[in-house]
Amino acid sequence: MTKITPSGWAGTIFFVVMILALPSLSGGQWIKIFTSTSCFIIAASGVAFMYARLGMVSLGQVALMGVGGWIMLRMNHAFNLPFEINLAVAGGITMVFGWVLAIPALRMRGLYLALITLMAAGGLEVIFSTYRFPNGGTGFWGVMPSVAAPFRRPAIATSDAAYLRYVMLATFLGFALIEAHRRLAPGRAWAMIRRSEAAALASGVNVIYYKAWAFGLSGFLAGIAGGLLAGGLGLLDAATFRASESIMLFALAVVGGARFWLGAVIAGVLYRVLPALFNDWSLDADLTLVIFGAALLHAIITAPDGLSGQIIGLFSKRKGQS
Amino acid sequence: MNTKLSAGLLAAGVLLAPGIAAASTPSCGANTGEAATGAPILIGGIHGNAAPGDFSSATDAAAAYFSCVNANGGVHGRPIEYMVENDQWNPELAARAAAKLVTDAGVVAMVGNSSFVEMSVNAPLYASSNTMAMAAGCAASECFESSNIVSTNQGPLPSSVGAAMYAVEELGATSVACIGLAIPSVGNWSCGAVEEYMASKGLSGASVLMNPAAPDVNSALLEAIASGADSMLVNLPVGLGIAYFGVAQEQDLGDVYSWTSSTPIYDASVPGALGDYWHGKVYVSAELTQIDGDGPDNLNWQAVMDAYASEDDPRDIFSQSGYLAAKFFVETLMDMDPAQLDDRAAVTDAIKAINGKTSDLVCGPYYVGEADRHMPNHAGIIVVVKDGGFEKVRDCFEYEGACFDGLIEAEKALGLR
Repeated sequence: MTKITPSGWAGTIFFVVMILALPSLSGGQWIKIFTSTSCFIIAASGVAFMYARLGMVSLGQVALMGVGGWIMLRMNHAFNLPFEINLAVAGGITMVFGWVLAIPALRMRGLYLALITLMAAGGLEVIFSTYRFPNGGTGFWGVMPSVAAPFRRPAIATSDAAYLRYVMLATFLGFALIEAHRRLAPGRAWAMIRRSEAAALASGVNVIYYKAWAFGLSGFLAGIAGGLLAGGLGLLDAATFRASESIMLFALAVVGGARFWLGAVIAGVLYRVLPALFNDWSLDADLTLVIFGAALLHAIITAPDGLSGQIIGLFSKRKGQS
Repeated sequence: MNTKLSAGLLAAGVLLAPGIAAASTPSCGANTGEAATGAPILIGGIHGNAAPGDFSSATDAAAAYFSCVNANGGVHGRPIEYMVENDQWNPELAARAAAKLVTDAGVVAMVGNSSFVEMSVNAPLYASSNTMAMAAGCAASECFESSNIVSTNQGPLPSSVGAAMYAVEELGATSVACIGLAIPSVGNWSCGAVEEYMASKGLSGASVLMNPAAPDVNSALLEAIASGADSMLVNLPVGLGIAYFGVAQEQDLGDVYSWTSSTPIYDASVPGALGDYWHGKVYVSAELTQIDGDGPDNLNWQAVMDAYASEDDPRDIFSQSGYLAAKFFVETLMDMDPAQLDDRAAVTDAIKAINGKTSDLVCGPYYVGEADRHMPNHAGIIVVVKDGGFEKVRDCFEYEGACFDGLIEAEKALGLR
């Protein structure tokens, strides 16, 4: 349980270096880009672990981020509570939301499960577009036609650079949470369910319970990601949480490689950093969609473990040769 | 219009009369005819160009004016480097663009900003970094309720109220349906003001708001008809506005209702797109004066665009607005101590000190001042779609409503009334 794998060590070193160096080396624009990237890495880690551990395709992860972000903003403007409590509430309620979403989905598999989550994402998109995100107004929806009320960031991370460090630390903890689950009873149950639901059932594994657990964990990570994203700007926009974005994030999780932490990092970087680079180079950011499509084809045809699988395979091969 | 304004316009006309005669030769900045040299003065600008629309005409016009200034001696001999970013209607991109310009590049001011989302996102940054944004295409309420943003355009609220006033006073409307987008700080805000205006006159108004993500003009038309209105006020971006008129034409409703619109319809391409059916029927509340006007600033705007902008750049009201923001900004810099041109705080102070600038492009004086709310442009004209173009049917008039009371008090305090 406590043994740290080489991949775990690599991940820990990677995050320590990034947390220490990235905010210091980046300008204001790139700090914002990396903050957003980190948030989407958390969300991608949730959708990737569901796919890798249970073979379940969730096409509603970004929409669930929107739920987390909505709750975070509503809590911030309604109560004078610390950031961390608001974030925990956002994660917790989104986890419950994930469970509710899981109820009809648990009897489905493959394409049908994906369609249900996609429809839920479409429904949330309509709600977000119609009612918008709280900005300090009164009433349940909390929207006012004025400049958004101030957003309270964590006391230890009020500046953009410090907030990036905070979000990257949260990302690392998100990966640690997934790894802890993988090593405990849920991980063993998920492994059996992935091989055969019938066999898992025969072995006494409560399939519904552990599938719902996975949905809840993925929802929790999405809620935390959405809450942290809300803290980046202090406001959110419905366009960020379109159903198509959930499909894109899942596709990039496959491109990055769902089995490894590096895959979620690659997914987040492709999702947020590559379009930003294209914008910086005065190229149309929509061109990245062409690249994503080609990368997805590459992953499906030649790299079932995604780019991260290829990278890790490369290192393993070199180690074997030496 | 008040006496001060009329006098200002007259004075501007007299002073700039030579410019009318030489309208094809642009006049910019020091007007020396020699290119500026030395270290550039860094200025930023952000526009939104993606679905649902291209708002880049304001920054295009500002860029053209700055190019003209650079070719004519610059500002105290120094050129302006105008860095423009596109927020693509995305708040995250808007925040990054502002961080790139304000935090990383260190621009001394923002000029010509034109977007639905940028101002809402970046107003706190502009305030905290003591950066002034002389915007030109404000479309959301947040833009007008910030200490560090001031715009040359009016935004949808004054423009819609102006259209409603004309519908009531000239077209005999007793019940107006305002058709807008369900964006709280845009459609709800501006159509809500129309409802308040109608109520203040003892008349009725209704808001018909479409989902911006999936606007359905047919449903909106049916909802507007069901509201019992006798007048339709189209308060939509130009593309959607044309679509709305299209479905109304299919129902042959052109003579059943009186028709007014807020500014976005005031685009040279619209009369052709609407067709003969609507000629003489659609009255548009214009935020600035006529795009084919013969005032000195309007002629100079056309000359600057012809000489320094691309042929494809729109010549619309937001282009006029961008030009005017850039012109007022350059005039402000020219009056500053040359040693302070790179000092953001000094530039901000100079912009906030702007008071009573006039132009034939706007009906009232332009001012900034220290305030939490800025909306200097709240008077306009009415034009009607006619003979493949637009014809002015009402000259400058001030809009009514409680939302303008605070502005009028501020103008009195600044000695503008």
